[in-house]
Amino acid sequence: MTAGSGTTQPLRIEAMQVKYPARREPSLRDVDLAVAEGEQVAVAGRTGAGKSTLALAAAGFIPRVVRAKVGGRVAIQGRDVTVSSAGDLLGRVGIIFATPANQLSASKLSVREELAFGLENLGMPRDEMDARIDATLARLSIDHLADREPFALSGGEQQRVAIASIVAMGTNVLVLDEPTAQLDPAGTTAVADLLAELARGGATILCVEHDPSVLGRMDRCLVLDGGHPVALAVPGAALADAASTVSLPAPTLVRLAQAAGIDLASAFDEGAIAAGLLATRGRPGMAGEAAQAETTRAWSPSTDRPAVRIAIEDLVHRYPSGIEAVRGVSLVIEPGETVAVLGQNGSGKTTLVKHLNGLLRPAQGRVLLDGQPTQERTIAQLAATVGFVFQNPDEQLFERSVEREVSFGPRNLGVPAATVAERITSSLAAVGLLAERATNPYDLDLSRRKLVALAGVLAMDPAVLVLDEPTTGQDAEGVERVGAVVEAMRLAGRTVVAITHDMEFAASHFGRIVILREGIVVADGPPEQVFAPAGLDLLASTGLTPPPAARVAALMGLEVVPLDADELLRALGAPG
Amino acid sequence: MSATTGYFVAGSSWLHARNPLTKLLALGLVLVAAFLLPALALPILAIAMVVAAWTAGLLGPMARAMRIPALLLLSILVVNSLFFPGGTDKLVSVGPLSVTREGLTFGIISAGRVLVAFLASVLFLFTTLADDLLESLITRGASYRISFVVLSAVQLVPRMGSRAAAILEAQQARGLSLQGSLLRRIRALVPLITPVLLGSLVDARERTFALEARGFAARPGRTAYRVVADPPVDRWLRLLIVLGAIGVLLFALGIVPR
Repeated sequence: MTAGSGTTQPLRIEAMQVKYPARREPSLRDVDLAVAEGEQVAVAGRTGAGKSTLALAAAGFIPRVVRAKVGGRVAIQGRDVTVSSAGDLLGRVGIIFATPANQLSASKLSVREELAFGLENLGMPRDEMDARIDATLARLSIDHLADREPFALSGGEQQRVAIASIVAMGTNVLVLDEPTAQLDPAGTTAVADLLAELARGGATILCVEHDPSVLGRMDRCLVLDGGHPVALAVPGAALADAASTVSLPAPTLVRLAQAAGIDLASAFDEGAIAAGLLATRGRPGMAGEAAQAETTRAWSPSTDRPAVRIAIEDLVHRYPSGIEAVRGVSLVIEPGETVAVLGQNGSGKTTLVKHLNGLLRPAQGRVLLDGQPTQERTIAQLAATVGFVFQNPDEQLFERSVEREVSFGPRNLGVPAATVAERITSSLAAVGLLAERATNPYDLDLSRRKLVALAGVLAMDPAVLVLDEPTTGQDAEGVERVGAVVEAMRLAGRTVVAITHDMEFAASHFGRIVILREGIVVADGPPEQVFAPAGLDLLASTGLTPPPAARVAALMGLEVVPLDADELLRALGAPG
Repeated sequence: MSATTGYFVAGSSWLHARNPLTKLLALGLVLVAAFLLPALALPILAIAMVVAAWTAGLLGPMARAMRIPALLLLSILVVNSLFFPGGTDKLVSVGPLSVTREGLTFGIISAGRVLVAFLASVLFLFTTLADDLLESLITRGASYRISFVVLSAVQLVPRMGSRAAAILEAQQARGLSLQGSLLRRIRALVPLITPVLLGSLVDARERTFALEARGFAARPGRTAYRVVADPPVDRWLRLLIVLGAIGVLLFALGIVPR
């Protein structure tokens, strides 16, 4: 320990360098970071920037569990983790990853027992456990979950239980690697609230995150790029800085705060941004802030296939458990429409779209593709018309190379080999993975595995593309790639139906928003209408909020409903 | 079936109240008896299993579970009746096929042995929580690490089932057809089975990290939160079961005269 400095900050990272055996270049270098008691520090950056490596190193998993060559040191409460055993670190530092179900011990019958699991490993006497468990659950405001079965909980609840089971062990340094990546907006907010509450109680938090709504609540943000630290400041300033130095796309609110000229410490304060923008309104040069919106047309469909009209008539779906997940939905989707289906988890979104390719059959009502009921065709037949990209790519990737994986769909459809080759190239180019055609899909990270799955369905050249949560785990550039695919489909007269929790993605890339609540359509219209101030109460009843630019515009009392930063700035720059 | 509790049926019957080790030993005894004892013992064992299920209020779940081995039992019976080698005493003949007395007898006995083994196994699964079994094994000195890994693997089976269903949907949506020639259907297994295995490996990595972070087997001196009941009567039962098993083995080996 250097001159007692480790005692002041529970988490100190000094001149950290990590190089994996299989890589030629270090995945992380020259990282210096000290996180104080009660402080929340975010780690942001592109996919592959070294964020997860930093998280693993900070939690003492490198090199003890994950083998790598390490330089520098990580000290938790003054103890060098790079040379500590698992027993030494027990009760000092904990780590949480993105997939909620994997964070639990997999065998416990109740949340209470889940929390006891760590205490057992600590060797805590049995008669002390209940008091500790009760205190932890109460402190994290999840006492109502105590007797629930962990696997029956929602993702957001599972993540909170996982955090609670770490905290119950007396652990005060928490490392989280994209803890909200797979959660709906309500779950994301609940986890962010929990982290803030823990920090107020003196916990030290290091959190890898993409979601601006979580980033904005952290005290500081470290931005990594290519393994290097490029900015470390309050989140607004760090993200603005990284936007100019390494062109990491800045969140909408940060761009608006910059345009408003307000202190970037308030870059996520919508009220301050609205006030700032009102003060600068009409000032010359405002419009110059808005980048010209450019349309990319990365993917071009390979055949001139006829467009397909979707008609859903009084659809009801009942699961064998008796639960009615869809309770009377009627929708007509014209060819070339791009439809985002929004709603909290459990609102029936996935159940609804699974009827489009026959994965589920209606209990009542029917689904027609160009007038033909889906009931009359098999899933494999419908696959030629409706391409379906599932949320979890690991439930379909199986080939030894990206190229072979992408060719699976078209080969099933009997597409000639020469055409398959063309489609592999065009669809991999569309998702930006042309350089990885020979790579094994499982050597790519989750965000890129998702893009491989998307490319695999694009290669089938579908008339209708259905996407289930295409942007989870994607960085800003990944989201743009998916958005460009949606745009290209629209230009080709194809239909896109996407389920998403990302309001900004929905608003900026889709022409029509459908909101479900408890299996019923409660809103249906263009984003400018659905996200207008007049609809705010209805929106709130579904647990959703408008995208950030629309929220700021509403606070400013504007008539227009801008869907992204550019639209808002253009609206402000316009004369009159 | 729940992802955590597997086939467990919540209840407070006399079978539920037994210590998991007692039930594990009893299961072992029935399995040994079903396969080593003469056929005459089979009806007694089968009736014993049904009575046990009835007194524990598990007759309904047991009847429903019979869907699982029904086809297997039927095929054991049919195949043996028709194709038993050396069967000469023809009972019924249809065209070139004949049901022989020897075949029918062998089929009934074989199916009976499998049936008893199945009934005993479901009774064990219906009344025993994996977690309780884990704790009892550890208390008896079994390795915590190994017991945990084995039982987690067992509990992952139902989850792999739901994963397999999701994979089936995803591949069908990519045009995978499950119809056609046998060869074609066998080929269709590759895109179905590979993601189950690869995905489990991806999960296993995260899961291992999560267990590490919770201090799994990191230190000696682990304590236990779950208290598993071990009534005095269970000790006597275990003794009787072990003696019974020794008796069956001796009988089967011909040491005890028949």
